[in-house]
Amino acid sequence: MIMRKLLLTTTSALVVAGAVQAEDYVIGVMSAQSGYLAPYDGPAYAGFQFCIDQKNAGGGLNGELMVKTIVKDTRSDIAEGVKVVQEMIDDGAQFIVSSADADPTIAAAQITMADGIPTMTFAGTAPVLTQVGPHVFGSYPADNQQGAVLAAYAREQGLENVYLVKSPDSAYTLGGPEYFGEVFESLGGNIVGTSNYSLNQPDFSAIVTTIKAAEPTPDVIVTWAWEPDFPAFIKALRGAGLDTQVMGGDVLDTPTVRGLGDVVDGVVHTSGGFPDEGSDYAKFIDDFKAATGTTPDNNYYVNGCDIANMIEQAVAAAGSTDPAAVAEAMAEIENGKGIMSDFTFKGTDRMPLRDVVVARITGAGEKEFVLRTTADPDLLPQP
Amino acid sequence: MDLIVQQSINAISLGGVYAMLALGLAIVFSIVGLINFAHGDIMTFGGYGIFLALVFGFSPVAALAIGIGAAVIMALTLERTAFRAMRGADVVTLLITSFAVSEILKVLFQNGISARPVPISFPAGWSGTYEVAGATIGVVPTVSIIVAFASLTGLTLVLRRTATGMAMRAAAEDIEMLKLLGVRANRVVAIAFAISGLLAGVAAVIWTAQRGSVDPMMGFFPVLKAFIATVLGGLGSLGGAVLGGFVIGILEVLTQAFLPDGLSPYRDAIVLALVIAALLWRPDGLLPAKNANRS
Repeated sequence: MIMRKLLLTTTSALVVAGAVQAEDYVIGVMSAQSGYLAPYDGPAYAGFQFCIDQKNAGGGLNGELMVKTIVKDTRSDIAEGVKVVQEMIDDGAQFIVSSADADPTIAAAQITMADGIPTMTFAGTAPVLTQVGPHVFGSYPADNQQGAVLAAYAREQGLENVYLVKSPDSAYTLGGPEYFGEVFESLGGNIVGTSNYSLNQPDFSAIVTTIKAAEPTPDVIVTWAWEPDFPAFIKALRGAGLDTQVMGGDVLDTPTVRGLGDVVDGVVHTSGGFPDEGSDYAKFIDDFKAATGTTPDNNYYVNGCDIANMIEQAVAAAGSTDPAAVAEAMAEIENGKGIMSDFTFKGTDRMPLRDVVVARITGAGEKEFVLRTTADPDLLPQP
Repeated sequence: MDLIVQQSINAISLGGVYAMLALGLAIVFSIVGLINFAHGDIMTFGGYGIFLALVFGFSPVAALAIGIGAAVIMALTLERTAFRAMRGADVVTLLITSFAVSEILKVLFQNGISARPVPISFPAGWSGTYEVAGATIGVVPTVSIIVAFASLTGLTLVLRRTATGMAMRAAAEDIEMLKLLGVRANRVVAIAFAISGLLAGVAAVIWTAQRGSVDPMMGFFPVLKAFIATVLGGLGSLGGAVLGGFVIGILEVLTQAFLPDGLSPYRDAIVLALVIAALLWRPDGLLPAKNANRS
């Protein structure tokens, strides 16, 4: 009799606990703790979790819906990423935040497609990633937006001949320079040469020698190379005596690149945001530092936080946590309120239209604000 | 003409780094039968040694010396803590051990220092250039070539003209006989690891001077290429390792420089296809060791 009562009590407690948990909004997070994505997923996850914790402290999303996160390491391995996404769905995930690159996001989106679970990349910027289906979303200004803004800026500076350095090994390193080139040509500039490299290529001297021999001489070199390839490239370039203007994508917005010294003096790159004094972004940096002791030194932190804001606004607009309703509501957001910048999904292919910042690295290793604008829709290259 | 001169220097410079790494692998393999995939992490540790020395305010030259010293110490530590206990195990067991050590070191670098690359900024003058017959040559590639050849020459002299070198060559031939003759095998093996660490440290210096940053994966890809070089040259053959390193470096640069754009994504595949063709032609490698292990 005692055993039966005990069993009944325990079962009732489990049912009640299950009912409470069922009211939580469950978000699955792919976060590479090692490998090439770790430098991007790490900060993005830190910023995301920081803002989710803040929202939960205030009662949850929109003050009423507590969030439970399931976080799994992908080790920057796409096969591992697919596996953990399936596990998170099995554990009840209603929204998936995927790694900070197009390729793992596309792989994750194949898994979430069957249930239409909204899937948003931490910082993947290749516009092709949303073509998997209507449940897939970008969060950062896409490569075609960044390329269009940077190309327009380059033409405004009177630059005429560009040399593109790209890698077919990833959608980001391939697409960025190509979008730039397309807009640059449409604005009257010329592409005088192109070189391909492999990710983690040991040596860039052969490419640099080819650039030196290019006719006509390029007055700007554009690459979307990331670390450690960009440091290797710029060292080889300056080491060969070439002081040509170099421009690149938002991936150059890191303390590592700024710490390279004289070789990066004057390098211009795009960025998702800039913490102007008194801005929400500046306040986010102060709050994050006060809470964690870490100073956010790149945009991935604040963009992670903005993903939490995007989810909150989509859930509010949907009036439901149903995955299809949330995805539909997300796609209709116009002038959503963000910290890095505001965002609009309505009228886009679910890569949000957001401000793009152009910044310049100084000889002292600082980031200097150049301009902030949104890409001209008439110039925007299609993926 | 200028283009050919400059690409030749690029090729020799890259080949020199591969040759040093391949030689480091070959020395250890020839004596204890270990293909040490943690060799790349020894190189990475040397890179972090340079980074930390600069952070703590040492001069760039002192930082380079500290980086090389760090690589030697790491190589000796691994020999004593991980590989000595496995002495005499078969090649596969040793290989798996080296992979395990490599993974542990990568995780330690990532969690102890940073998952992302950290910058190494040397004085601007070190990235300068000079003119020779109309061709602009970089200081770093030139120093890289000089250092690589000096290291290889010095090592050859040590191996051929000193008692320790003779003992190492004898150990490569037959370590059991060496023990029977009363030579302290542990000391010989430790010296082999120290030399391999020294070569990894020098490679780290050249690598970081050329690339400007160090990250947990820094050593992985060059050592992979160096391993291919040792196989191409002939496993266990020191001369073969050097030759293989230069061949791989030259092939990489030439294919990068002269392949048409449409074929460039296949560059690595083309280089490896050429290596396979060479091994089909000479299965024991280009310069096989006397007690050859078939590549």
